[in-house]
Amino acid sequence: MPKKGHDIQEKLLASLQERAKELDCLYATEELLNRSDLPLPKVLAALADAIPQGWQHPSLTRVQIDYEGKSYRSRAFEATEWELSADITVQERSVGAVHVYYTGRPPEEGESPFLREEERLVRTIAERLGHFVLYQRLKELREEWQGGAGAAAQDESSAWRAPIHLLRESDKDLYLRIARKMLNHLARIGVAEAAAMLPGTVSGATEALPSTGEVNVPGRRMSQDNAVLLSDRPFELASRYISGEEIFSRVQRWMQEDKASYFMRVLNSHKSSMPEISDAIRRFHQVVADGSELPPSTLKSLRVSLTQRLLTEQLDFVRVAKDYMDTRDFLELLDKVIMPPESHGKLGGKSAGLLLANQILQRDQSAERPTGEVRVPRTWFIASDGLSNFIEHNDLQDAFEQKFKEIDQIRQEYPNIVQLFKSSTFSPRVVSGLSLALDDLGDVPLIIRSSSLLEDRLGTAFSGKYKSLFLANQGTKPERMEALLDAIAEVYASTFGPDPIEYRRERGLLEFNEEMGILVQAVVGTRVGKYFLPAFAGVAFSNNEFRWSPRIRREDGLIRLVPGLGTRAVDRVSDDYPTLVVPGQPRLRANVQIDEIIRYAPHKVDVINLETNTLDTVALADLMRECGGRYPALDKVFSVLRNDMLHKPVGLLTDPEKDELVTTFEDLLSGTPFIHHLGNMLKILEETLGTPVDIEFAHDGQHFYLLQCRPQSHADDSAGDPIPKDVPAADVVFTADRYVSNGYVPDITHVVYVDPLAYGELGSPSDMLAVGRAVGRLNKMLPKRQFILMGPGRWGSRGDIRLGVSVTYADISNTAMLIEIARQKGGYLPDLSFGTHFFQDLVESRIRYLPLYPDREGIAFNERFLLAAPNLLPEMLPDFAHLAGVLRVIEVPAAAEGRILRVLVNADLDEALGYLTVPAERGRLQPPHAAGARRAAPDYWQWRLQMAEELAARLDATRFGVKALYIFGSVKNASAGPGSDIDLLVHFAGDAEQRRALLDWLEGWSLCLAELNFLRTGYRSDGLLDVHLVGDEEVTASAGYAAKINAVTDSARELPVGARAPQS
Amino acid sequence: MADKSFNAFEMARAQFDKIADMIGLDAGTRALLRSPLREYHFLVPVRMDDGSVQVFQGFRCQHNDARGPSKGGIRFHPQETIDTVRALSMWMTWKCAVADIPLGGGKGGVICDPHNLSAREQEAICRGWIRQLARDVGPVTDVPAPDVMTNPQHMLWMLDEFETIHGGHYPGLITGKPVGMGGSLGRTQATGYGVVYTLREALKDLNIRPQDTTASVQGFGNVSQYAIELYHQLGGKTILVSSWDQEEQKSFSFRKMSGVDLGELRGIADRFGGIDKAKAKALGYEVLDGEAWIEQDVDILLPCALENQITGETAKKISGKVKIIAEGANGPTTPEADALLKERGIFVIPDFLANAGGVTCSYFEQVQSNMNYFWEMDEVLGKLDVKMTAAYIAVSEVARKQKLYMRDAAYVVAINRVAQACRDRGWV
Repeated sequence: MPKKGHDIQEKLLASLQERAKELDCLYATEELLNRSDLPLPKVLAALADAIPQGWQHPSLTRVQIDYEGKSYRSRAFEATEWELSADITVQERSVGAVHVYYTGRPPEEGESPFLREEERLVRTIAERLGHFVLYQRLKELREEWQGGAGAAAQDESSAWRAPIHLLRESDKDLYLRIARKMLNHLARIGVAEAAAMLPGTVSGATEALPSTGEVNVPGRRMSQDNAVLLSDRPFELASRYISGEEIFSRVQRWMQEDKASYFMRVLNSHKSSMPEISDAIRRFHQVVADGSELPPSTLKSLRVSLTQRLLTEQLDFVRVAKDYMDTRDFLELLDKVIMPPESHGKLGGKSAGLLLANQILQRDQSAERPTGEVRVPRTWFIASDGLSNFIEHNDLQDAFEQKFKEIDQIRQEYPNIVQLFKSSTFSPRVVSGLSLALDDLGDVPLIIRSSSLLEDRLGTAFSGKYKSLFLANQGTKPERMEALLDAIAEVYASTFGPDPIEYRRERGLLEFNEEMGILVQAVVGTRVGKYFLPAFAGVAFSNNEFRWSPRIRREDGLIRLVPGLGTRAVDRVSDDYPTLVVPGQPRLRANVQIDEIIRYAPHKVDVINLETNTLDTVALADLMRECGGRYPALDKVFSVLRNDMLHKPVGLLTDPEKDELVTTFEDLLSGTPFIHHLGNMLKILEETLGTPVDIEFAHDGQHFYLLQCRPQSHADDSAGDPIPKDVPAADVVFTADRYVSNGYVPDITHVVYVDPLAYGELGSPSDMLAVGRAVGRLNKMLPKRQFILMGPGRWGSRGDIRLGVSVTYADISNTAMLIEIARQKGGYLPDLSFGTHFFQDLVESRIRYLPLYPDREGIAFNERFLLAAPNLLPEMLPDFAHLAGVLRVIEVPAAAEGRILRVLVNADLDEALGYLTVPAERGRLQPPHAAGARRAAPDYWQWRLQMAEELAARLDATRFGVKALYIFGSVKNASAGPGSDIDLLVHFAGDAEQRRALLDWLEGWSLCLAELNFLRTGYRSDGLLDVHLVGDEEVTASAGYAAKINAVTDSARELPVGARAPQS
Repeated sequence: MADKSFNAFEMARAQFDKIADMIGLDAGTRALLRSPLREYHFLVPVRMDDGSVQVFQGFRCQHNDARGPSKGGIRFHPQETIDTVRALSMWMTWKCAVADIPLGGGKGGVICDPHNLSAREQEAICRGWIRQLARDVGPVTDVPAPDVMTNPQHMLWMLDEFETIHGGHYPGLITGKPVGMGGSLGRTQATGYGVVYTLREALKDLNIRPQDTTASVQGFGNVSQYAIELYHQLGGKTILVSSWDQEEQKSFSFRKMSGVDLGELRGIADRFGGIDKAKAKALGYEVLDGEAWIEQDVDILLPCALENQITGETAKKISGKVKIIAEGANGPTTPEADALLKERGIFVIPDFLANAGGVTCSYFEQVQSNMNYFWEMDEVLGKLDVKMTAAYIAVSEVARKQKLYMRDAAYVVAINRVAQACRDRGWV
């Protein structure tokens, strides 16, 4: 690390110790104040002894707390001239003070021996004491009242008096609001006098009531009202109509609501920073013990606000979160959030998804659908504006210019950016937060993950574009701290990397500023020798896009399991395979022969090497030889290969140093409820979140840990393509409607077609073998992932060669898609292989599989194109020219006037379409090499926005009485999918006739757009517009949907109306 | 269309007819041997995991048991046809006969794809298969074994069902069982060693001392590794081994002109015989293309990997120095290549003789099971040597005396033995 950074770092670390002491002191204070069993004097006395530990020289520090005339002193108390003090105030009235004295000499005469932070600390403690005293008073008040409830039965007329007076004394504003509420309540239940006493009562209403003799003169009313309210009259009146008990319970509830409304104000104000919110929730909980007495609506809106401020503004997410996250959960969460001062940041999508999924699983598991115990690793969060704070702190604003440069330049400069970031420093607040985090997490290995806000909005390919870094987190604290800061800087730098910028540019999303939260998470696992690893880990999907058997349905899900860290399950590695299992068909195995099972078992393990502080990949066999005896849950993960048979270990006698172990997870899958539990989790999450999910998990041999949860459509690769319906029949090459899986297929330039009929008529097996060999040769010659193989029956068949071309994986390894064609043969439809012979190879290389049933009704199969197009085989492989009648190599652009073959698949619709069309613009032809690269998602929202703008332009505002037109929701937010509707808000000020005409006019548009959308995407709906009319009053009052107009966040956007309307 | 396409059973019959013509077999014996003696077609109903019932189609063909109980595997294959099973059962008859073990030929199967079946469902199929055939298979009638997509686990389920029905222990019902559960030692070594036992005898015939020879080996799996092991013990020198590279999805050859060190190569190979290229280079091996094995200037070629490796095309590359090809793999040579080899006078030890060590060891397993006494490894390998040597000598004698190509001679010996047994029993 360069010198500049290092010096600052050292200084920071020195002062860090001081901050840690301070925080200790604050925690000690907090702890004492939370001891409900101790009386106030005892608490204060203990506090006086606890405070010195927060000061630079605790042994020289003395404390005196004055409260209501009494003093509480620390041990060996002595007052000196060096003093710090702060008043304890309650309801803006001083009730005491905290004094801190220093008994040593200050370094220089006349200078304060105290640090600036210490001055702040004493103020904080005093403030905290003030709140505590207020709380104590109110509590006493309540107890007094409740204690007096029995007496009140006899003497109702006066029992309320003492507490109400106390309230009036202690908080006049609150008292006024409560008194007003009481009168309102009385008026509502029909007490006429109450109505009359109410401030703001209109005279008309008053007239309807018996006169009270008051003269309603507006000018004098305020003072009079308050006078009335401040008198005992409202409560005297109340005690005549309702019981003392009811008065008490109502007052209590209103007081709580009143408190809550304060929090709502804090939350709703865009000015409130995250620390303020954090503080507000903390206080909220001190006042309202469990919130259970607040009206549900208040609680709900509180939770909505919290979710929006801290987690995400995604409406779907908020909808679910409000039922699962209570304020206490937020409180616990905020303890673990590190934020810059004045933070307005969020935690980001990854954190939000994990927190919510965990809450859902904790609450929704049931006897019918058990999930077992689910844990989340200990995690700390850095708020999303930590990034901008970091950039400002180091004057790195230039980095924002990166995204406007040429991509090559970005690529070239990226390593410099990384270095620049790594040599920068963090603001003290963040450093002190991370120091706490390190203490809390201990020296277990950590993973630093990004939690981007753009990921929320876009989902899709953003995952994987930003870095996640593992840290061994070993050594002294300064060493660990340095490594941690370094890692965070690197993750921050990755926002300026070429890949995410290019992606954002392609989607036209450069303008959205990137914000990124960070998760600092303990890695799940145990120490095995010098390594640290979980017993196993993996990822699970609600929807299965890789099915090796027709018995497996898409909704049966898919789990990729590996021993050790889950990195090998999440990423695809060319030389190794995860174990695949399907929760909906837990007993089916992708590999059934022993050779297959062994070959396609994971042979390597990702581990954290605690000695070298690195993430290593080690051979399983080596790991076992070295320290297999300590491998967690050994018998669950491995089977023993002995005498040509795989044995599920029976007991203690497995010897990893001698036995040959094969990763099968057999005992885990067949001997424990694991897969059942995981299947339930997927179902519960999918149902609750309303979308298929993908989750990451790890297991340390003892416990299951959830690591991530996000909509599956956010995973690359698994969103369905739109299936246009307006493709001219002549351009269609094939369609399919069975066993369709989602997955990106690049544009196809070459088709290798084995004619099923001609192949069946080949006279000799050697000719059939030759077809396989020719395919293998073509595989090496044709452009990788730009050609598809189409052939009869079972590719790779090892049995009867007539049933499919005999190839091995090496012969097809470069194809983009493997298509098996099942032609009807005299009433008998042959089974297809689903690629089982090389299934796992297909999965890991993302080679797509599609079965075609050309003889089914409604299925198009353009045999003419496939047979009439020029055949390149004789030219490419003269040796195999004699097979030209069977094996055809078609160069699509040459055969179809420059067009390519595009294959679109959509498992939701269970439809696939291959058709000839013009090649896409730059970027489309790139093969999906890196994780996350995929077809740029079709811009559903742009099309919708265009249509909405068009509609607005043609809208005759005068004719229909329209004042303004707004768009909101998914189209405005650029998150619309192929089935999304268009949310329109109409500010309407016409009459009933105009209203009907307007709705008819819009209905016409809606139906037309729905039809257009169907033709574009294959998604059918009854109408594409979702129209909301609002009137003047609603707009003025910002009520209902009208609240969207000028809303602080996510406001509706106005569309210019009438530009092209016919002039009437 | 159907009449034009090829059919395994038709092919097996054509091959038989050719040899029958050579021998001058009478019409009755031909008619008997052209078809299986007995065929069983039956249904196996299985209660699936989801509660539904699926009915599977099962087969067993006993082609001929004049020389002893039928012997042959059980295949689980989604595209199984009766003609495939018939052809394979006939092939088993010849194979047992050429190895001169007292067994006939059989084959069976179930139309199913284990990829679509849970372990429990597969177990139900195995038990159902045995229930249908409990009276028609057995240690003294018909002895099944593992085959395509079946493994020792399936054999144990079947054995258990059979023993439950018959109320006793009959480990000789089935072979391919794990060691300790009625399996035989030496199974891993048997095929590779068997290849070299026949090779040793062939060298004697040709008057060549093994220690003066070099060999090039295709493949580095079980067969190949044990063949090399024994060949080196005889004093031979292997200069090249080819092996499949899983990562690159192609094969490579590893050459060391001073002779490869088997132990060294085993140390850098994975379980499937994939040799680590980088480590091999470090050990001083030249890494060549996978096809290079066939063009080496060696005395012996050992194709021990895949079928159809020596074709009309590749055969042209075979060095003039090559004297013997011992076929460790099944069907490594195409008919066109066969003609070329015949023409060039290269001595071929045909696959079903050279790799008969496997079926011989299965026979040993059955023998041991029947007496419930299991031999030590050296006893198994010693007996294997005796059987393989005798089998080779019988074939090579016929080849020499009748001036036949070795492949034809092996068929002549096999069919002759079976025909003789039928005649001796008075069947024909």
